[in-house]
Amino acid sequence: MTLLHFFIRMLARLMAILGGLTLCAVIAAVCISVAGREVADAAHAGYLGSAGRWLLDHGLGPILGDFELVEAGVAFAIFAFLPMTQLSGGHAQVDIFTTRLSPATQRRIDAFWSIAMLCATLLITWRLFEALQDKYRYGDTTYLIQLPVWWSYAACFGASVVASIVGFYCAIMKTWGQEQSW
Amino acid sequence: MVSDLTLGYLSFPVLLLLIFSRAPIGLAMLICGIGGLYFATDGTTVFMARLKSEVYSTFSNYNLSIIPMFLLMGQFATLSGMSQALFRAAQSWLGHRKGGMAMAAVGACAGFGAICGSSLATAATMSRVALPELRKFGYSGGFSTATLAAGGTLGILIPPSVILVIYAMLTDQNIAKLFAAAVLPGVLAAIGYMVTIAIYVRMHPDEAGTHPCMPYRARFKAVIAVWPVIGIFGLVVGGIYNGWFTPTEGAAVGAAGTGIVALMSGSLNWGTFRDSLVQTATSTGLIFFIVLGAAFYNGFLALTHVPQELSMWVTGQGFSPWVIMIVILMFYLILGCVMDSLSMILLTVPIIWPVISGLDFGLTTEELAIWFGIIVLIVVEVGLITPPVGMNLFIINSMDKQTPITATYRAVMFFVASDIVRVAILLAFPVITLVAIR
Repeated sequence: MTLLHFFIRMLARLMAILGGLTLCAVIAAVCISVAGREVADAAHAGYLGSAGRWLLDHGLGPILGDFELVEAGVAFAIFAFLPMTQLSGGHAQVDIFTTRLSPATQRRIDAFWSIAMLCATLLITWRLFEALQDKYRYGDTTYLIQLPVWWSYAACFGASVVASIVGFYCAIMKTWGQEQSW
Repeated sequence: MVSDLTLGYLSFPVLLLLIFSRAPIGLAMLICGIGGLYFATDGTTVFMARLKSEVYSTFSNYNLSIIPMFLLMGQFATLSGMSQALFRAAQSWLGHRKGGMAMAAVGACAGFGAICGSSLATAATMSRVALPELRKFGYSGGFSTATLAAGGTLGILIPPSVILVIYAMLTDQNIAKLFAAAVLPGVLAAIGYMVTIAIYVRMHPDEAGTHPCMPYRARFKAVIAVWPVIGIFGLVVGGIYNGWFTPTEGAAVGAAGTGIVALMSGSLNWGTFRDSLVQTATSTGLIFFIVLGAAFYNGFLALTHVPQELSMWVTGQGFSPWVIMIVILMFYLILGCVMDSLSMILLTVPIIWPVISGLDFGLTTEELAIWFGIIVLIVVEVGLITPPVGMNLFIINSMDKQTPITATYRAVMFFVASDIVRVAILLAFPVITLVAIR
């Protein structure tokens, strides 16, 4: 069982890091785009002389459709972050009214909510899969850079499947498992 | 058959029951939203369609993408060594005064808040630096922990601020203006805490020691060492305010800049970078799951017209707007004792804001939204330092094993009083908040 726990933990961490790296890539893209736009503005205004014209001729400017990259990248990052939040017990709760209950009752409450959480995650994953099929079938692309929308849906769906696996593990451990230190 | 309106009102007690029986708050809102849509539209079609489109669109919202960026920026800020530099600079100017080390801690928290958008991160980071120093120079445990817990709340008030981003989304306001409006109340908060400290050490002279006076040369040197904080804050908040870039772009620039500072300080390596990503993941997941639940619950509430009806009912009662405002703020103060600030904002603003916007305070709608937003932000943050469940108190108290939490409770009430005085001042003089946007 410890091996399983180790495996699930690694999986959640891996997704979190993958999402985080995507976030960093988005941040880098935005910074490059901002820098490109500002320098291009300066070049248009003639501050940079012939060097500015040369840069403009060679495609200096903001990244086309950078916000489409932001939206797709951040959506994946957030789906990828959810397993870590759940596994580390990070979701916000109000504890104060239940701390007086017996430990056994508290465990039952936690088990109940972890099962409800699993159901919600499965529902979201299923609906996302339906949406993915639609986007794939109709071949939707983003407006500016013509990025197929189903790509980012597929990435999010993958992350959501991991969230379901982690949710499944949490539900089982909370229901039948021993006390675990997460 | 119940009417939609009744259904909407019924959902309040159900939601509270779920939340108080320890459901994850986002899940409770999601369940009530889905359940409500099911009953209000007589079937599964509507909520199934919404689940299909709205989960992805919520997570890919361009404006909300600021939040993970600011959270990552905060993680880099904790690694950047800026917390030490800020405390050293503030201490060199204030440390020799009566209670001066505590004032320096508050000042450093304010400075750190300028590059970090979260209260808990500010409180935890500054405590790691300032708590051992305060204890070394004879400050009592309760007073030290209370000071840092209160100072931590400056993290969210002084922009960048994650909660203001959420508030801007909920009330359709301009993030840049909200950030600008928060600066002066944030400075006022820091000054208020320093005054509180001065009063406290005069009432309890045995609870604070003094630090030797520093020569001016050393003072200026210490101030120069905090230039990255000033640079990043100026670039991010100034840039957003002046329209050089969108708030999302500002957040990206800020995160990258703070990352570079952390890299130069030598404490950002693959190991700490990985941990920063995982920490960012945990808190981003926490926030967006609540945002998701709130999107569904608020979608259902809008369908039932509860917010409009409630607003009409309240304005129809003929109370003075000020009475209604104060009652609402009291409600936030009480709710803040049991619930975290972000959930509270997401849960209540869609219902409370229509009520407030229907009242006449002699302000335009935009001014009213900004003024109310800043005041609510302060009031919900008071919840972070009020017993019994003030998160900041727990985090900092757990760092100082010798101090019983009751000692922290006793001292923190002074800071709570300072918060309440500040809210009263901001209420009485809306111009303090609004001067930056007029």
